Order: sequence, then C-alpha cells, then structure tokens
Amino acid sequence: MNTVALAGNPNSGKSSIFNQLTGLRQKVANFPGVTVEKKSGKLQLPDGEEIVLVDFPGAYSLYPNSEDERVVLNVLANPASENFPDAVVYVADLTNLDKHFLLLTQINDLGLPCILALNMADTAVEQGIVADKQQLSEFLQMPVLSVSGRTGEGIGKLKEAISAILQSRKTNAPLYPPGPMEVNTLTQVQQLLGIENAYRALLVAHHAQKLPHLKEREKADVNHICEVEGFNGLRLQIVETMHRFELFTPILQKAISKKAEKISFSDRLDNVLTQPILAPIIFFGVMFVVFQAMFAWAAYPMDWIESSFGWLSEVLKEKLPSGWLTDLLTEGILSGLGGIVVFVPQIAILFFLVTLLEEVGYMSRAVFIFDRVMQQFGLNGRSVVALVSGGACAIPAIMSTRTIGNWKERLITILVTPLISCSARIPVYTVLIGFVVPSKRVLGVFNAQGLAFMGLYLMGIVAALGSAWVLKKILKSTEPSWLMMQLPPYRLPVWRNVGITIWEKTSAFVLSAGKVILVASVILWGLASFGPSAKMEAAEAKATLVAQQKNLDETATSNLVASYKIEASFAGHLGKFIEPVIKPLGFDWKIGIALITSFAAREVFVATMATIYSIGNSDDEGTVHNRLAQARNPATGEKVYNAATSASLLVFYVFALQCMSTLAVVRRETNSWKWPLVQFLFMGLLAYFGSWIAFHLLV
Amino acid sequence: MANSVRQLKVGSGGRITRFTDDHIAGKLMTMGVLPGSRLQVVRIAPFNGGYYLKVDGMTIVLRNEEASNIMTTLDTE
Repeated sequence: MNTVALAGNPNSGKSSIFNQLTGLRQKVANFPGVTVEKKSGKLQLPDGEEIVLVDFPGAYSLYPNSEDERVVLNVLANPASENFPDAVVYVADLTNLDKHFLLLTQINDLGLPCILALNMADTAVEQGIVADKQQLSEFLQMPVLSVSGRTGEGIGKLKEAISAILQSRKTNAPLYPPGPMEVNTLTQVQQLLGIENAYRALLVAHHAQKLPHLKEREKADVNHICEVEGFNGLRLQIVETMHRFELFTPILQKAISKKAEKISFSDRLDNVLTQPILAPIIFFGVMFVVFQAMFAWAAYPMDWIESSFGWLSEVLKEKLPSGWLTDLLTEGILSGLGGIVVFVPQIAILFFLVTLLEEVGYMSRAVFIFDRVMQQFGLNGRSVVALVSGGACAIPAIMSTRTIGNWKERLITILVTPLISCSARIPVYTVLIGFVVPSKRVLGVFNAQGLAFMGLYLMGIVAALGSAWVLKKILKSTEPSWLMMQLPPYRLPVWRNVGITIWEKTSAFVLSAGKVILVASVILWGLASFGPSAKMEAAEAKATLVAQQKNLDETATSNLVASYKIEASFAGHLGKFIEPVIKPLGFDWKIGIALITSFAAREVFVATMATIYSIGNSDDEGTVHNRLAQARNPATGEKVYNAATSASLLVFYVFALQCMSTLAVVRRETNSWKWPLVQFLFMGLLAYFGSWIAFHLLV
Repeated sequence: MANSVRQLKVGSGGRITRFTDDHIAGKLMTMGVLPGSRLQVVRIAPFNGGYYLKVDGMTIVLRNEEASNIMTTLDTE
C-alpha cells in the first residue's frame, strides 16, 4: 500500500487537512523509538486505490531544533523507514507563504514527488491575498492547489492530485545547488553509504551523529569525511538557508499579491491578552472558569450515569439466579464499569476546554507570558502547555515536552508534571471531598466544593513549581536554553478538530485506563470474596456468634458476617500487611487495599472502594460516596471517613505518583529507569509527609 | 547604525542586518527570520520577559538573550 506523508510547518493547519481527509478513520501510534505521536489513517482515492496517510509533526526545516522536527528528518533521511513516503502533500499557510517554502524546497530536493496544498484560502481572501497558482506551479514544477481545512473546500481535488502523482511518480531536479565543499563531502558520503540522492547525502553529512538508522561505524566514517573536508555544518546550514530564501522569495513576491497590511484582529486582541499587567490576570481567570465549568457542567450527566448503573445492577440482581457468578457480574464487573463511565463527562469537558484553548491560539500566548517566570523555576515557557495539559492527563502532557529543546528544562518539566492534578484524580477527589467540605454556596455564586477542588489543584501546582525550583538547583547543565516561537493568529476553532481530539483522548482514556480498572476491579472482587478457607469459615462462625449474642436482625447479621469475612479474605490480609505503615496517616487496611490497587491508576481507588463496600454491605443502592459515609470502624463505631482521614487521603492523592502508565512514559522519554524511579520516590515521600501533616492538623 | 533588538524601544523597528551568534542564527533562519527581514518590537513580556516581535508580518516571540543577537537598522520616522 502506498504511503503519503502530510508535511508542513507548525501552524500550517496540517491537522485540519488530515482530519478532512481521514475523518475518524485515524490511528494514533508513535514513530519508532520515540514517543512523538504519529497519526495515520487509511484513505480511499477517487480511482479506488487505498493509501496510508501519515501526518508528520510540524517542522520548519530539515535542520531540527526539537524532537518533533527530528522525526521528520529521521524518516526522510532513511528510505528504509517504514514511514518513508511514496509522495508528499506539503501543506502551507497561504497567508504567510514565504516562511513555508524552506522545508518544501528541501523535501523537493530529496527527490520525492510533491503536491503543494495552499491552506487557509478563505482567510487569505479576507485579507486580500491572492496567489497565482500557475506561476508557483511553474517555478516548483509540482501541482499547486488551494484547500481549506475549515470548510473542506478543495479536498476532492487534492485526492485526485494524490492519485495522479502516485501514477506519475514525478520528481524534480534539486533547486539548491550545493557549493564545492558540500559537493566534495556529499559525494564521498554517497559512495560510502550508497546513497543515490545528493541532498540526502548532504543531510546525512550534517546530521550523521544523531541519525538512528546509521551504525556506529558509519557515523564514525561520515565524521571522518567531514573532518578531512573541513565541513562546517553550522555555517553551511546558514549558507543553504539563505540561498534557498533568495531563490524563492522573488518568485513569491511576483506570484502573491497583498493589499496593504492593516492592524489585524489578532494584533488588537493581543494588545489586551498579552498586555504585561492584564495577561497573567486573564490567564488565571480563564483557568478558573475552565475548572469551574468542568465541575458544574459534568454534574448532570454524572448523576444520570450513576443512577442508570444503580438501576441496572438492581435489575440484574433480581432477574439472575443468586450465586457467585451474579455477584461477579454486578459487584465486580458492573461496579468497575460504572466507576469508569461516570467520570467520562468530566474528562471530556476538560479535554474539550484545553483543546479549545490550543485551537484558538491562546496556549502559545501563555507560553510567551510565562516564559520568564518559568525560567526562575528551571522550566521553559513551553512547560506551561505541559503543566496545563497535565490537568487533563500527565501522559500526553509529558509527550508534549518534546518541543522543549533544552534537556534540563525538558527533564524538569517531565518530572514535575505528574504533580499537576490530572483527570484521573477527579474521581478520588469527587468521592472524598464531600467528607471534608459540605456542598453549599459561598459568596452567592461559588460552589464550596468547587473551591476546595481548586485548592487541591493549587496544592499540586505549588508542589510542581517548588519541586522544579529544587531540581533546578540540583541538576547541572551547560546546554543553551532558548525560546523562539511563532504565534499563530487567533482563529475560530475548527469544531471538527476539537471533536476529533476529544473523541480520541477520551476513548483512549476509557479504553486504556478502563481495561486496567476493569481487570483490577474483578481481581479485587476475587481477593475480597475469597480467602484461606479455614480462616474464612472461622470468621463466619465468629460473626454469627457475635450476632446472636447481640441479638441482631437478619440484615445486620449478614452485614457483620460480610465485614468479618472481608477482613479474613486475601484482600484483608494484604491491607493489614501495610496497615502499620499507613496508620499514622489515619488510613485503615481497607484504604490500604485501595492504595495498593490504585497504583495501577488512581481512578481504580473508586472501583476498589465500590467493590469492598458493596460486598460488605448488602444495600447496593446509592453512590460510592454514600457507601463510604456509612462506613464505621467496627471497634470504635466512629466514622472511618471523618474529615481528618479524608483530607489526609486527598493530600496523598494530590502528591503520590499512583500511575503505572506515567512511569512507563517517563522511562521512554528519559530513556532510563533512573528518572521514573527518582520521580516515584520524591512524589511518594511528599505524599506521605503531606498526608501526615494534614491528618494531624485536623484530627 | 546597527543596534541589537535589545536597544529598540517598544513600537520601533528596522531591517535585520546580521546575527551575532551562528547557533541562534541557524534556528531563527529556519523560521524565516533572515537578514533583510523587517522587524518591529511590538511588546515586551510581563516581568521584563521576552520580546514580542513582528517579522515580515509574522508574530515571533524570543527571549532577551536571543533578541540581543539580532542586529537591526533603526527606522527614522
């Protein structure tokens, strides 16, 4: 099957075109060896051929300044790569075309069949920009089309052009003529490695040391050639870049006609949104609205989902014969599923709002506004994006740090991002917050629990910045740090893009986290239902005896039996085993079980609690919160979830790195077990001492 | 007379003449910030942070250290 690459600068609107071409038939994976996200999708062309379309990360040139850009180089410099394209659709922003031609002419020189798709034709018309496609096509010797990622205009023609170019395989002569020194070097590299294309050999000469497909021996040989020839990569890169701009700038000036520039809407908006004093105030205002909205809007669908699951569980219990299979279904599987589905509204809303902020272009302003402050903490302005996305999920957030060029800043961002409260903590917070703060209005408009939520998020942010500051002092680096970024004009969001992102992220959460939660809740049900048989029988006998002595009725007896049995079960043993360690935090062995299981993923806490308490309590109606509210210490009769224990538990979940997936991603991003281990330990210690303090303040 | 961008006041501008550091030049040039480009200082970030520039109609943000490596002419108005 033919592979077609979608390439272009960041901000070229490439992903809109990708979404237009593939719709929901997309697959998200990683480029080999790195965690740079690779989106690909199957596409049927008008002539019936099916192709694979790969969305390459946005890049300015084949001289990479970040991990994202490096992927483009790594693939295009290696024809043996599985992602190496048969043809390239190059997406360029018509409103700023001259800046998009550098990478285009470089890809052209690699001898790849190319199509130029001019995006944002609609915006360009509004701005009075007209392109002479004929002239551009004559200069580039490739098809030039107008498309709109927003409206889908020209997509049909683009598909036809892809068909045509896969037939003709038309490639062009290189536009950039290498100088004498480059020719000497690249000819030797061509012979050494058997590279046919001259420009590819030149790129290999420039980047050999960092190209993953070359063997160590080959790298050394290329290095030797460069040394002998006195190949000064940096200077030659500047010469090449200058030369390319000189080639196409005059053509573009002729082919593009612009009306006189006027102050654009974006400029006027930026006068307010990036104004030195207003900017931070507006940013925090926006964040406040985001989190309030998430809490408020999600309440209705959550209620609905909760009552639906409760109803379903009741119906199943009535209709099915009683026995362990029914128990497994209603108390293991169904309560686990409910625990996942109920949090989908909040997660979807948060992803919706974060994606919206990125789509309209506000996120890159935040990078600019906070760069200086972030530097004080050893971070980079771009860390803001990771920290804010960390509010949704640490995994994509950590992956987004690859745009940070400086390793130390990137590492610190990776290490502290999981301290930002992610959506997986929402379930835990929701269940527990009611034990600490009552649901009432404060100052007329604010929900007290919403404010407490905000407080927990703030606690995470302060911990993240504090840890970053400490790490900045500890870690040493001599690598230059920089921030150079293009701010895209503000745009109305393309709803299709927002929709697709929410769908992808939320379904990824439900499927990947959901699998873990479901498995965990079934295992837990097993652990809590079974135990060493002698002990289980003894527990039952003892409970029955106690019940008789106290003269309890039938329901109370079965509750007592259940509670004795869970204590004797495997889960009870496990929880008791760690109880001495967590007792100073105000946790009992039931919470201990949840701490262990929720190491898989935090949201498992809720499923665990649902399982433990629905087994210990035959009354299965109501939410997990209600079940926990009824929980009493069998020895003292006091409520287990008093304010102190709940606050302590909340603090624990704010700080602890209870997420296997995060550890796995950090290992992949930092390429060693050292950093995830360091991260796990320092967050664990923070959690332990934070909880201890919280417990002793309130008890 | 060439000035570095650091010496330009908010609102003023000129044409880029050269860069004083090859590493920074290489990075800026891939984004289309070239000798000969028109540059204007639009704003300086809060807390004396980075620069908000217009370069050939494109909005670019930079840190102070990078801005100090860009030499420009000064428009006389």
